[in-house]
Amino acid sequence: MKRIIFAFLSVIACALDLFAQEAAPVEVFPTAPYDRYIIFQSLALFWVAIVGLIVIIRMKLKEIERVQKMGIDREEKDIPLLD
Amino acid sequence: MSCQRLRNWIEERYDVEGMKRLARHKLVPVHQYEIWYYTGGIAMFLFILQFITGMVLSFYYIPYFEHANKSIIEIVTKLNMGWFFRSLHHWGAQLAITALFIHVFSTFLLKSYRKPRELLWISGFMLLGISIFFGLSGYFLLWDERAFAAVRVATGGAGNLPVIGGFIKAFLRGGLDVTGDTLTRFYAFHVSVLPLITLFLVGIHVLLVQYHGMSVPMSLEKKPLKQIPFFPNLFYKDLIIWLLVLGLTVTLATLLPPEIGKKADPLAPAPENIKPEWYFLFLFQTLKLFPGEILGMNGETIAIILISCGILFFFLIPFFDRRSSRGEKSVLFTWIGVFYTLYFIVMTIIGFLS
Repeated sequence: MKRIIFAFLSVIACALDLFAQEAAPVEVFPTAPYDRYIIFQSLALFWVAIVGLIVIIRMKLKEIERVQKMGIDREEKDIPLLD
Repeated sequence: MSCQRLRNWIEERYDVEGMKRLARHKLVPVHQYEIWYYTGGIAMFLFILQFITGMVLSFYYIPYFEHANKSIIEIVTKLNMGWFFRSLHHWGAQLAITALFIHVFSTFLLKSYRKPRELLWISGFMLLGISIFFGLSGYFLLWDERAFAAVRVATGGAGNLPVIGGFIKAFLRGGLDVTGDTLTRFYAFHVSVLPLITLFLVGIHVLLVQYHGMSVPMSLEKKPLKQIPFFPNLFYKDLIIWLLVLGLTVTLATLLPPEIGKKADPLAPAPENIKPEWYFLFLFQTLKLFPGEILGMNGETIAIILISCGILFFFLIPFFDRRSSRGEKSVLFTWIGVFYTLYFIVMTIIGFLS
């Protein structure tokens, strides 16, 4: 009898799985509003830094091209060296 | 040790001035197609990013089938910035493979593979193949049901190749079916075998680029072209593009972090409507075109043979295109290049939408 009751309860326990809800998807992004705010703020600052660096590199590049155009970057031959 | 003393210490031992002179003397032609020169640099930059983010993730990932999925969930939900590094690694991989595809197709259409750059093409094409395998093995490390089904399909497809198919399938799976052994094997591929081969091939590829110099499109070969030094002119332009790519990768990683599916169950049926990663979609769609049986033979086997022949032809294109090697126009191979490019794009879009 005990075995029959145990088997019956096991079947019910397994059948309950059919009514179980789908497991909630894993949160792959922080959910707290403060964390989200900090992340988006950091992203905006990151882009400001990238734009700033690009502006500096472009200025440097223009200066290099200006110097190359004038030809003063090339070494002269037989230039006297100060010891 | 002051900065000047350190500089003197290095200069006494190494010919720094000679190296600087060499960098200044490397010239790069300027023309309307020079934008394609940057795609290789972008791919290399993203490879470096992948190495760094991959190393960080490997501190916490557990390559065992019972813990793999859970360890990723813990990386994403419990570790400080874990979600960000995982997302950065995911988007870095997507963009690296995109950059490599653009690099390969642009090299094809500009005929940059022609004599004497055949080995450059070969090493670059092998790098593309390795990157795709990097993608597949990395995807499987998630150990979720979609990744599990994708690897079962991919390794099963390789198994359809005649003669060597069975060996390849068993070698990749580490057994008859996809199991926990496959996960351990793919982890070994992903973190040790493939990075070593990649480093070796990137080294050869970069060395060959230095040796041969930048390729000039055939239509411009006889025209006098302005040349600029690689360092600092092109290097600074490369830096600007790398910064933009870094910004794009970080933005995608922040706004679109990849999902984590349910833990894989080897005994469960494959989920409905599964699709492989986008760079396999063109193969997936091509396989769908073939019926189950052709003239009494397995349709999938015939499809795999035909696809393999198409890829082999693409791989050996410098040796087929003799006219380009002689410096003559080869319209046929331009059309072949256009066909390959369009086929890849159209089939990927159809696979994505269907």
